[in-house]
Amino acid sequence: MGDLTYDLIIIGGGPAGLTAAIYGGRAKLRTLVINKGAVGGLVNTTREIVNYPGYAQISGPDLMKDFKKHADCFGVEFSRDEVVSVNFSQDDKIISTKKGKEYMAKAVIIACGSEPRLLNIPGEKRLRGSGVAYCATCDAEFFEGEDVVVVGSGDQAIEEGMYITKFARKVTVIVLHDEGVLDCNKVSAERAFQNKKMEFVWNSTIEEVLGETNVEGVKIKNIKTGRSSELACQGVFFFVGMIPMTNFLKDSGIGMDPRGYIPANELMETDLEGIYAVGDNRVKYLRQIVSAAGDGAAAAVAAERYIEELNAFSTNVIKSDKKVLLLFFNAMNNVSLEFGTLLEQVNQELLAPYKVVKIDMATKKNIAQKYDVKTDPSVIVLDRGQEIKRLHYSNDKENLKAQLR
Amino acid sequence: MSLKQLNANSFEKVIGDDLEACLVIFSRKDCHVCKGVVPLLEELQPEYLDKFGFYYVDVEVDKNLYQRFSLKGVPQILFFKEGDYRARLVGAIDEDQVIEKIAELLES
Repeated sequence: MGDLTYDLIIIGGGPAGLTAAIYGGRAKLRTLVINKGAVGGLVNTTREIVNYPGYAQISGPDLMKDFKKHADCFGVEFSRDEVVSVNFSQDDKIISTKKGKEYMAKAVIIACGSEPRLLNIPGEKRLRGSGVAYCATCDAEFFEGEDVVVVGSGDQAIEEGMYITKFARKVTVIVLHDEGVLDCNKVSAERAFQNKKMEFVWNSTIEEVLGETNVEGVKIKNIKTGRSSELACQGVFFFVGMIPMTNFLKDSGIGMDPRGYIPANELMETDLEGIYAVGDNRVKYLRQIVSAAGDGAAAAVAAERYIEELNAFSTNVIKSDKKVLLLFFNAMNNVSLEFGTLLEQVNQELLAPYKVVKIDMATKKNIAQKYDVKTDPSVIVLDRGQEIKRLHYSNDKENLKAQLR
Repeated sequence: MSLKQLNANSFEKVIGDDLEACLVIFSRKDCHVCKGVVPLLEELQPEYLDKFGFYYVDVEVDKNLYQRFSLKGVPQILFFKEGDYRARLVGAIDEDQVIEKIAELLES
């Protein structure tokens, strides 16, 4: 059991997860990355990356190999497995995997990324691998000299569509918007419009993939006129956005928006203590490798501090031989500060039967929440972590002494 | 244990002559989905020693093999028994689906 206990567990091995791993490993946290499939996540699907600082041009898999190697340097452990359920309700977070392992960690970073969204139209699932595809790098070559339809107009759709023109005879892009409007970046849009093999069908969506054993065509619906038409083709590539793979968290009590994204603050903290969300799993503005890496770094540092606090609290309070006076104070409040001095003085005069541990409520909200302390100053008397009583606030020395005797 | 790679000749021998009950994954080096599926098979393989064969075809090396089964994408796992093509699994599958398919084939 002991070897499955970690300081930090990172679920997912894309750029956010690997960066968190690098920071976690460097901070000497016992760090594990649980990743299903190949390490690198969605970056692996990108043939060419030209906007990651320090690399003028590199392929996705090569960049992720460098990330992984870097994490290895710091002693990070990796497990190829899939998380099926979690229990985040205690200080020790429990993570259960498909291979039947049960891991424990003080902090968890959720970095499991997203997967291609399915349209769930007739024929899409049935003809997968027989003309329906989601990855141009993997499958474009199978359509040498054939007609291909691309659904979507984001960066991925247009850039992958252009890559497919290297093999296909013709690529027809089905676009939801009015003529000339694409969701992708301007450079790619201009290139696509100039590409003689690219054609566009505007104001349209796809209703059905046609074909018996292989794709033979698609049924296209014009959303303006409502009219349907058929277009013959041998392949259909879907690039209709991504959905976060956070489904396994739905019973964990973590806050998620209706689309499955997890709101997190600047420290990547979620609404659960010790749980962080990064990269494509969180609600955010920019979804790039560099911003995913930034998320990973912030989360790992926040997790490190959280763990440090947890450990310090455990040594000073829970495992203390002496009884503890847990003083919640506010550094901005003079009454609070003076009370702290008085409490220490009283303890000294009683020949120090207690250990006084001060908790700044502004920075250690977790502990205040745990003991349900809302006002300062407050004092809780603890014996080995168990609450014995709460003191009543008084600035009278004798009153305090009486309460502590 | 890595999967044994087949070419057109060895494919013919294993499936056509030896009539081995087996699976063949059609894959390619730069396919990230394949990189997720191949290790699953490598891990399963030892559990089926002498009962069920596990093989690998690189579609870039042996184009005629994927053309023969008119495949339009990787990864695809094709299942064979007594020389006949019986079933297939496409895309990012998990080990349970493979285990289930093998069981079906061995019982049939």
